[in-house]
Amino acid sequence: MLKRDDWLDLARKLDWDFSYVEERDVFPEATSGNPWLPHEEWKDWNEPYRTTYADYVATQHTKEAHVRAVRETLGHAEDFQKLDAGWINSVKMHAATLPLAEFAAVVGNLRAARFGRDSAWRNAAAFGALDELRHTQIPLLLMHELIPWNVQFDWTHKFYHSNDWVAIAARHLFDELLLASNPIDFAIGANFVFETGFTNLQFVGLSAMARSAGDRMFETMVKSIQTDEARHAQIGPAVLRTIVSRDPAYAQYLVDKWFWRSWHLFAVLTGFSMDYLTPLSSRKSSFKEFMQEWVLDQFQRTLAEVGLQRPWYWEQFLESIETYHHMVYASAYTYRATVWFDFVLPGPEERAWLREKYPKTWDLLDPVWARITDRWRRSGPRVEWYTHGVTPVGFCNLCQLVLCGGTPRCNAAQTLALDGNNYIFCSEPCLWIFQKESERYANHKDVVKRILAGEAPANLLELLKYFGLTQESWGKDITVGAYPWLSGD
Amino acid sequence: MLVPLYGFLQGDTLGLVVLVQDHELVSEVAARLQDAATMRVAPGAHATVYCRGKQLDPALTVAAAGLTALDRVDVVMEKG
Repeated sequence: MLKRDDWLDLARKLDWDFSYVEERDVFPEATSGNPWLPHEEWKDWNEPYRTTYADYVATQHTKEAHVRAVRETLGHAEDFQKLDAGWINSVKMHAATLPLAEFAAVVGNLRAARFGRDSAWRNAAAFGALDELRHTQIPLLLMHELIPWNVQFDWTHKFYHSNDWVAIAARHLFDELLLASNPIDFAIGANFVFETGFTNLQFVGLSAMARSAGDRMFETMVKSIQTDEARHAQIGPAVLRTIVSRDPAYAQYLVDKWFWRSWHLFAVLTGFSMDYLTPLSSRKSSFKEFMQEWVLDQFQRTLAEVGLQRPWYWEQFLESIETYHHMVYASAYTYRATVWFDFVLPGPEERAWLREKYPKTWDLLDPVWARITDRWRRSGPRVEWYTHGVTPVGFCNLCQLVLCGGTPRCNAAQTLALDGNNYIFCSEPCLWIFQKESERYANHKDVVKRILAGEAPANLLELLKYFGLTQESWGKDITVGAYPWLSGD
Repeated sequence: MLVPLYGFLQGDTLGLVVLVQDHELVSEVAARLQDAATMRVAPGAHATVYCRGKQLDPALTVAAAGLTALDRVDVVMEKG
């Protein structure tokens, strides 16, 4: 029997010359992506860590057995009930936003498995599709058991089928990145930027926090997923190198575009978890510190290795690490009924920790929490509406998230008049991306435009129904304002 | 006529959509936005409204000030 290394290349590198059809017909530019290059340009495509189907099956079987064992021991509702309430809501947030995005990534990978320009690339993408299917199924399975205990876990599957504003934003990102991208755009946007750049933060960083919070099930799940991500993410740099050599401006554009778009999503998901929903005693470091350790250094190094520049908005990005997720969290706290998870009101100890971690900007943000705290004191517990907004909020016409760029002193929103319509953006990079591809984005209706068109209600209670929320499932303060520290001093 | 405006109150964390009538005064735009953001920012006595970098006369109507649908307005609480 041949040894693995004696036959692997024959299985991976199974390309041939076409005799009765043109290469452009087999791999049309519309589905394979541009720049369109003959296979000669791709024939040296290689992934650093190669695997065989037999290796893949054996490895995945072992990982599945491990997840199953932890689930049987620690994956039941009574195990989750013992965890900190803030952490449980962090799990609800991730449980909703990830699984069906992973399912969309199955489609992106399968397109690359057919239309990627080298057989080794197609082979790696086929494994990637199997990975993403697994990443869909595991959280759906684990969270399903928790629904009878807490109906908000139903949003694990419901989220992407709703008109909730966060779902609209997530679909706007993932529909383009994962469902509509050609294999080149997918490799650079999803495999390189999203997975190489950010998934480490999401999965490695959060698994460490899960361990610290005592949530071994979540820790096991994200670690198991991350090992898959690390393997198929290697498609990205391998494709990017070829595109940089042929069309560096386009490669730079894709990196700049998807880095900013990915950043906003991760800032909300991971920033909320790390700086607000994880109990103070379980926090190892701030979101900013995680970004610096897991994203900034590695991403800049990787960009330099492939011959690209840092995105043009890098200074703005560094500034937004200090403020963006704080701006969104404070805003979302006061519109908590519009989402499917509950919020923590940061108390004196949490605010002191945030001041220590964000010394440059926290003084701008703290008055907002002082005001909210004061309103809770005046209303007493259970009077949620006294710290809740009712006026419609504005949404960015690119990322579809709330207009929370900049600082409380100076909001970074940008406006644009185009073809008789007014548009607004949370930031200069969002405006820039929109202008680069306005024909793609101009007709998308954010929540405000749906309200103005009569397609969504303006009244908050009616809007919550439009979002798919009920009194049982909409977000609340985790103690409904009954914090022991709130009644003191 | 109803005029929806994107309103940004200095000190606040997000932009809101303020619905005003074109015959209402600019000063009412400021009051409306402060009221909408009151759970995050305490209202102030002296608020100034800016649009496209220019300070608007609070006594003008929304229409006379040239505000149209989905314009951005900024409300700044002046000290004193």
